Amino acid sequence: MGLLNILRKLRSHPEKELRLLLLGLDNAGKTTLLKQLASEDVTHVTPTAGFNIKSVLSNGFKLNVWDIGGQRKIRPYWRNYFENTDILIYVVDCSDHQRLEETSFELAELLQDDKLCGVPLLVYANKQDLATALPASEVAQHLGLHLIRDRTWQIQACVATDGTGVKEGMEWVCKNIPVKK
Amino acid sequence: MTEVLPVEDGIQERVETILRGFQINWMNLRDADTGKILWQHNDDMSNPDVEHEARVPKRILKCRVVSREMNFSSVESMERFRLEQKVLFKGRCLEEWFFEFGYVISNSTNTWQSTIESAPESQMMPANVLNGNIVIETKFFDGDLLITTSKVRLFYV
Repeated sequence: MGLLNILRKLRSHPEKELRLLLLGLDNAGKTTLLKQLASEDVTHVTPTAGFNIKSVLSNGFKLNVWDIGGQRKIRPYWRNYFENTDILIYVVDCSDHQRLEETSFELAELLQDDKLCGVPLLVYANKQDLATALPASEVAQHLGLHLIRDRTWQIQACVATDGTGVKEGMEWVCKNIPVKK
Repeated sequence: MTEVLPVEDGIQERVETILRGFQINWMNLRDADTGKILWQHNDDMSNPDVEHEARVPKRILKCRVVSREMNFSSVESMERFRLEQKVLFKGRCLEEWFFEFGYVISNSTNTWQSTIESAPESQMMPANVLNGNIVIETKFFDGDLLITTSKVRLFYV
């Protein structure tokens, strides 16, 4: 399910321009996920020291996917990219047990931000191919997703490096794009 | 007149400071259906005084959709970074894309990839017609300030 396919699915949607925002800790797999969506080679992905954007235009529909670096020193700048976000995609490295608390904290901060108020949330529980990866249900519990009341959310197990589960997540995205007031 | 000059100087200085710390690290063209790179260039193509040349394999014209990607670094932070990209055929604009990035983090490296799926009826002209007549022009701005222009002329080989 490439980015162009996503756009094709959205043709009947009243919004002509969509903005997806990919966030998560460093090494969560955000850039790999983005490249996977564009069928690109994912073997040489390096840490993002800024942002990566993919813009797709088809039949007057525009889709912009923003992937912002997750390193600690970049996180304070995340806020600069919140405006007009239609869907927030949060990526978690499920094998990184040590930083589960850190990633929960960062997500909680995002969910409290006014600029992201009510924005639907998709969590990709990534790296499910690793033996030490926690299952999506357990990650959901750690993140406290069941306590969310002010937005629609979904958690999707995935393996960004081979694409497993990525399509399912994007299908949820397509169905949950809010109509702007 | 003398009151206006210092302001102009200030703007010019700002542009020069940004430009000094601004660099296009690489550009590429991909077949957007397969994600495969058809052409990549790893030299700085932000020098505004030079028209750069790209030798692109002819088969790119057979691709249904081609993406253009550029990776750039900036030492300076910018508040309202944006670009205007045009694909020109003999100076006539075939495609254009205005994109606003907004904030650019100081000392950051960023990529932007654009993909335009065009209607089938506007399919590609033959290589011999396009050869050397297509220029990708990208203008970079911070707000209204033009930082630099990058021009790449395409040759199909």
